[in-house]
Amino acid sequence: MPMNEPILEISHLMKRFGDHVVLSDISFTVGQGDVTCIIGASGSGKSTLLRCVNFLEEPSGGQILFHGKDAETQWKRAEYHAKIGMVFQSFNLFNNMTALENCVYGQVRVLHRDRKTATENAMRYLNKVGMDPYRNARPAQLSGGQKQRVAIARALAMEPEVLLFDEPTSALDPEMVGEVLGVMRDLANGGLTMLIVTHEMSFARDVCSRVIFMDQGLIAEEGTPQEMFTSPKQARTREFLSRVLAR
Amino acid sequence: MQLPSSFFGWVGFLLDKYGSLFLQGTGMTLLISLTGTIIGFLIGLLVAILRTIPVTRRMSTPVKGLKHVLNVLLSIYIEVFRGTPMIVQAMVIYYGAMQAGIIGRGTPIPMVAIFIVSINTGAYMAEIIRGGIISVDKGQKEAAHAIGMSHWQSMVGVVLPQAVRNIMPSIGNEFVVNIKDSSVLNVIAVSELFFMSKSAAGTYLRYFEVFTITAVIYLVLTFTVTRLLRLVERKMDGSNTYTICGSQSDSQSVITVTETNAEEG
Repeated sequence: MPMNEPILEISHLMKRFGDHVVLSDISFTVGQGDVTCIIGASGSGKSTLLRCVNFLEEPSGGQILFHGKDAETQWKRAEYHAKIGMVFQSFNLFNNMTALENCVYGQVRVLHRDRKTATENAMRYLNKVGMDPYRNARPAQLSGGQKQRVAIARALAMEPEVLLFDEPTSALDPEMVGEVLGVMRDLANGGLTMLIVTHEMSFARDVCSRVIFMDQGLIAEEGTPQEMFTSPKQARTREFLSRVLAR
Repeated sequence: MQLPSSFFGWVGFLLDKYGSLFLQGTGMTLLISLTGTIIGFLIGLLVAILRTIPVTRRMSTPVKGLKHVLNVLLSIYIEVFRGTPMIVQAMVIYYGAMQAGIIGRGTPIPMVAIFIVSINTGAYMAEIIRGGIISVDKGQKEAAHAIGMSHWQSMVGVVLPQAVRNIMPSIGNEFVVNIKDSSVLNVIAVSELFFMSKSAAGTYLRYFEVFTITAVIYLVLTFTVTRLLRLVERKMDGSNTYTICGSQSDSQSVITVTETNAEEG
């Protein structure tokens, strides 16, 4: 597989909560424009890995390099966060703001853009996810799928270099999954670098450039979707895939 | 001079004679309780923000130590002022400050009164606001951090506006309590409503009539304040309608949507 210029290099990442080891030794590299899907059973450490990558959880060990510089010591935390966006399973929109304000606030506060530029920018991304008609609605007035699309627009408005998705469709009603996956598919086609924890196997197969299978805090296997879904090498991967694909 | 013989006769007589005294007392009670509640609220906000600063691995050891000391001091403040009666705090602070020479004969008593009510209220508010912060799901704070906001920015912009809305009923409670409990400040001769009532009652020894009037004034004050705060809450909830701007067929159309399941206000 041709390797693009690496953006994120994760090496020997470890996370434990007390005595409980969630991530034992994780190393992988994300290149420019890669769409990496992380799959695996519940409790395998997928979400923790993503949360460690943008320091919502403090890693217990290991190193994350972003553009070759140590994310923990050589990047200002706010700057790093602004360049690594995140979309959450439970949307986490700011409930005291309208859809538009959700997308404007971070730009003004963190990137110090003036309000007019930030608003124009926010509108562009709301438009991109098809939520511009709802710019004046507050989160409580939106459906799950709509909230998640606004949350994606909020993350995009910061113009991140990498966007992390933590099970973005797991909290949605089945009929709303499609609209969110559609938006993510467009982003992937547009060349955005994405790291996606998902249970949507068909999405992983069709959209991702690379699939990582996690098991018990380790990367058990990784490869192209082609390799992973048609001829997985590991017994654990085969077992997991047969279980989730049978559903 | 002919003195009244009936209850209502006395009430009318006393109101006529001491109306301005009651009015001054009411004004002072309102001033102390309103200012005290607002300053107490601000103290509570500050304490709550300081106490919720997360300790991270990146913090240097001296900063961690400082944070720990600060937490201990703030806990002591809260425990002491919640754990002792305001009437006792008033005595200790007033006479203590007097002995230490911090305040003297010339210090305006209302300032001392506002100071006492403020720090007392601040201790309660700190806990109320902490509860409000907990009531806002932590996902929103994580989302704020994930786009690069600092603790302060996410608190001020995202968490506190919602926390404050959620605790408005408790803030109202504190205000009502302050209107009533500022009466204990009569022990340091603050000319609030209770103190003024005592003076009014003394001359003719009509305690029952005077304090019936006083009770009615307190009741009117607290009732009005409660109603006003309900209005503020409604205002904070914002409108229950929103507009959808532009549809597939007509980009200029505006559709107004009204929530039908809006919570009863």
